[in-house]
Amino acid sequence: MPINRRKFLGQTLMAGGSLLASSVIDKSYGEYFAAKDTLTILHTNDVHSRLDSFPMDGSKNAGLGGVAARATIIEQIRKETEHVLLLDAGDIFQGTPYFNIYKGEPEIKAMSMMKYDACTMGNHDFDAGLENFATQLKHANFPVLLCNYDFTNTPMENKSVPYNIFQKGNIKVGVLGVGIELKGLVPDNLYGNTIYKDPIECANKTVDSLKKQGCDMIICLSHLGDKYDSNKVSDEILAKETYHIDLILGGHTHQFFSEPRKYINKNNGDTLVNQVGWAGLQLGRLDYNFERSRKKNLLKANTVLVGGKIEK
Amino acid sequence: MKTFYFFYSKTNTFTPQPFIQMRISVLLFISCLFVTSFVQSQKVSVTYSGYPINGNTKKDSSIAAFLSTYRDSVSKSMNVVIGFSVSGLTKHQPESGLGNFMCDGLKNIGEKVFGQHIDAAFVNYGGVRSYLPKGNITVGNIFELMPFDNIMVLQRVKGDSLLSFLNHIADKNGWPLTGITLAIKDKKAANVLIDGKPISADSTYTIANSDYVANGGDNTNMLKVFPKISKGYLIRDALLAYVKLLTDAGQSIDAKIEKRIVYAN
Repeated sequence: MPINRRKFLGQTLMAGGSLLASSVIDKSYGEYFAAKDTLTILHTNDVHSRLDSFPMDGSKNAGLGGVAARATIIEQIRKETEHVLLLDAGDIFQGTPYFNIYKGEPEIKAMSMMKYDACTMGNHDFDAGLENFATQLKHANFPVLLCNYDFTNTPMENKSVPYNIFQKGNIKVGVLGVGIELKGLVPDNLYGNTIYKDPIECANKTVDSLKKQGCDMIICLSHLGDKYDSNKVSDEILAKETYHIDLILGGHTHQFFSEPRKYINKNNGDTLVNQVGWAGLQLGRLDYNFERSRKKNLLKANTVLVGGKIEK
Repeated sequence: MKTFYFFYSKTNTFTPQPFIQMRISVLLFISCLFVTSFVQSQKVSVTYSGYPINGNTKKDSSIAAFLSTYRDSVSKSMNVVIGFSVSGLTKHQPESGLGNFMCDGLKNIGEKVFGQHIDAAFVNYGGVRSYLPKGNITVGNIFELMPFDNIMVLQRVKGDSLLSFLNHIADKNGWPLTGITLAIKDKKAANVLIDGKPISADSTYTIANSDYVANGGDNTNMLKVFPKISKGYLIRDALLAYVKLLTDAGQSIDAKIEKRIVYAN
């Protein structure tokens, strides 16, 4: 939008005048910064075709999980809060006979019914072949986000996008996806011509584009795994080596985080990483409250101060 | 359930409407001239909670109805009882009863399918996807234990390559195996015995693996060079056949830990 010069000058004079009394600054500043924006992020990872809850067989997870119960919780949260993003970090497929028989159709349909906003692909989403994944995506009403797989000359060509932007109230959220190295993990014949590219480089490039498009918050869906003993690229490395990712929602390593992990990113700001185990045993929730205020002291950009722990 | 609070402040990350933005920038500019340390700031607090999905949660009726059609046909084939376990089996490292059961099954059924002796059989630890419950064992339990359509393959490998595969297994803190005992010492395989005899670098051994592992899956490149003998027989089918074999013999599915893999340090 072009700046209205006359308005600009008027504003300058007005603002200059208001400076005569400092209390007026506070008031006018407060007018524009009292507003609070809330974004609720719900997430799953490594659900592995666990459509039903675990059977009541006396095992550790008996009775836990299941999409019908998850859908109720999601619906309840949608009633309570306006701006919700529901995301999945991959490995939707493989692990129960549903997948052996139906090849992922009920998994994708259930996610569409729960109104997932986006997902990324995990290594097991290749298990019935790329053509099958592409076929099942016909049942999806949400995008598959991947910025580091080149699917040219595969059945997935033009079936995924590097990122998607969601406008949630005043907050513009950029969501991107990164996938794990396929060689040595996924059988060669299943990923075919898919080219794996460096997730750090691709993420930084994508995030740069999202920043230029004015995103206030950036979320990365990742199937890299939280961290490794070796220098294999992980969410920990992704968090430290990228510039503007606010939140990484991870998977692959099936870790139940007791709380989000916090890392210092390349921009000297904080990046949070979270992961909620596997099998849909948990639904992760992060509420971001954006509150604009005046501060007398310059705070480091994106500094996360860990506050009190509250028992619910 | 626990809730955690995070607070963080951002400087100049909020992007307001152009009109407001202009006003802010003007204010900021003048503020810098007249007021010291006056900085626009955005406070972001993050609250975290994880919702356990448990039996107390009411089921969404439309999702439940949608699932029921799929479930009915899945249950028909998957709920068939094929065995019984007195204590149930779960996966552990470096060795577990569940892993021993799987490898013993591969070796036993594999020898029948291929009509030859197998020196050792393996399952990659990451390939053990579930558990076997206490009580009835169903077809579905075996599908969840081995959901992949992996094929059993035999390879004739030289002792030195087998040792490098075993070192990989030791480095990964132990994979299920049968026919071999070893100790994990400094992340390497030590005291390796095959059929009770020390491994020989120059001897050739017949090993059974999934095609996934034989093709270098789970970073087992050392096996890739060896030709693969295949009958197109699924690992899962071998496990199903082994459960039926044990059941027909009146045995329960209760493999023990036998010190096949121990930690030397």
